[in-house]
Amino acid sequence: MVSVTLENITKKFGKFIALNNISLKIQEKEFMALLGPSGSGKSTLLYTIAGIYKPTSGKVYFDERDVTELPPKDRNVGLVFQNWALYPHMRVFKNIAFPLELKKAPKEEIEKKVKEVAKMLHIDHLLERYPWQLSGGQQQRVAIARALVKEPDVLLLDEPLSNLDALLRLEVRAELKRLQKELGITAVYVTHDQAEALAMADRIAIIREGKILQVGEPDEVYYRPMHKFVAGFLGSPPMNFIEAEIEGEMLRIYQSRIPVPGQYKEIIKKLNITEVLFGFRPHDAEVVKGEREGIRGEVYSFEPLGKEQIVTVAVDSDVVVKVFASEREQFRFGEKVTIVPNEDKIVLFDKKTEKALEYL
Amino acid sequence: MHDIETISKKNEMIILLALILAASPIIITYLLLILSSFSEEMFTSLSLSSFRPTVVNWINVFKGKTAITGGITVNIWHYTLTTLLVALGITGLVVLISTMAGYALSRMRFRGRKKSMIFLLLLHSFPGVSLIVGVYFMYRLTLPANPLALRFYSFLYVILARGALEIPMSVWLMKGFFDSIPWEFEWSGIIDGASRIKVWKDIMVPLIKPGIMAIAIFAFLAGWGDLIYVRTFLIDPTLATYIESNLEVEFTHLPLIAAVGTFYLLPTIIFFILAHQLLLKTYVGGIKG
Repeated sequence: MVSVTLENITKKFGKFIALNNISLKIQEKEFMALLGPSGSGKSTLLYTIAGIYKPTSGKVYFDERDVTELPPKDRNVGLVFQNWALYPHMRVFKNIAFPLELKKAPKEEIEKKVKEVAKMLHIDHLLERYPWQLSGGQQQRVAIARALVKEPDVLLLDEPLSNLDALLRLEVRAELKRLQKELGITAVYVTHDQAEALAMADRIAIIREGKILQVGEPDEVYYRPMHKFVAGFLGSPPMNFIEAEIEGEMLRIYQSRIPVPGQYKEIIKKLNITEVLFGFRPHDAEVVKGEREGIRGEVYSFEPLGKEQIVTVAVDSDVVVKVFASEREQFRFGEKVTIVPNEDKIVLFDKKTEKALEYL
Repeated sequence: MHDIETISKKNEMIILLALILAASPIIITYLLLILSSFSEEMFTSLSLSSFRPTVVNWINVFKGKTAITGGITVNIWHYTLTTLLVALGITGLVVLISTMAGYALSRMRFRGRKKSMIFLLLLHSFPGVSLIVGVYFMYRLTLPANPLALRFYSFLYVILARGALEIPMSVWLMKGFFDSIPWEFEWSGIIDGASRIKVWKDIMVPLIKPGIMAIAIFAFLAGWGDLIYVRTFLIDPTLATYIESNLEVEFTHLPLIAAVGTFYLLPTIIFFILAHQLLLKTYVGGIKG
């Protein structure tokens, strides 16, 4: 297993800058998720690690070894594609054996290794079939088997679950995470699904427009986002943002006033700003009926989800926030309520740069 | 097969009839040819008295006695062999070059790629006849003196020259087929450790088999049916030149030529029957998602 170091990677396609000066260190045996919306450059970054793309500038290291100029086959990486890219004219056995055959491994060894990896992924009964005779989940296992059979130093996964149906996705998610830890393989996982990233990764790198906005453990990026985009991309529903003005020790949020959260008092004094974005997660607030200290508004809508319900509250005519509430509580449309956010979990962002105040 | 079933049964019958009617001149022509080959006299006058059934034409064809009245006998099998050599030679050449060139145009970035694609289209729009003077000039320039070498050379030359006419279109078709294969297949092969040529041979080419079959058929038919190039360059006669040279001969027994003509059609039909299944089986069932 190796660690992967990316140093000032820039990749241009013509005039378009796909990756903008990216530096990232992926530890040995780490499960790193590259998370971002489509077109953010996360797949480009993955393909740069794989060697399919060469960076316009910057370096890629596997451990101490500079692999920037190395072709993919000399990097010993395994890649699982979004569409799995199984060779349709080859049987499953041959699909998995293909990388070994190219290495000119002896026949018995190929046979042994293919059977081993097939058994591990529970597809050993499918070896004689063609890819089109398999279900989506089985095809995906074959793709993973093919990537693992050559015992790669790094396993790269490009949205491997996005072609599976929702239920299967949950199942494979857990399995893939366990597999990665069992094999102790360095893995880089590209996804646009924040839930996948949070659920599986040791660390997450959030990418937007070719730049890394934040790297950190799931907890860290979830609860201490450095950037409004990170906060808005993670969580379902994502973090709420409301414009707020600072008036001394108080925050004015439309018709309501609440005290500035303790952790921000010093920072605000130092920065001397007046306009901020007030952010809190739907789970980190309470909806209380009637008028209390907090953010006042009316119930716009409510969606029971079984265990709990999402209450959408209109703070102003065009400003709504979503908050979770217990499902026992009954709401009416237009009912007057107050949102009481958990003070510790509030995040304030600078309105101009959209960065969290503590990181300004 | 699926279709959108919007046409009423009655209209469907009308359309079908119209189509049959439109196709009938061609069908009738072929029918007359085949019937005449089994008759003592040509049946093209459509008078029933001219149709006197016999198989003697076919017996003579297979015996190699194809020009009885002229007194000269020629071996039809020899002609068939030359025709096959030319047709298969062209097929091989066209398939080889267009699968490689099509791949390069579809998948590789190099200087002059766009220009060569436009140039290919331009080449395709030149009719073969208009090029023949220049092509003949080249032929004369490079002609070997030894008669045996000349015979061999004429084969090579006709295959190259006639194949070259087919190549621009085939390259374009192949490029289109390669374009339709997702990049991931190629990347996957590269990651697995294959060289570019290995990817081409083991992954890409098998995926576009139907396309290759299609251009193979076109190339084969072009070679099998060609008259002008074969007649200009090839020392040995082919079926096409044989039929053509006998059409205006005074003593030709035309029903015999009709038999040769029918015989000439057979390989095409056989080839098509064998290939059409593969031809229609385009990119289905290949990949999910």
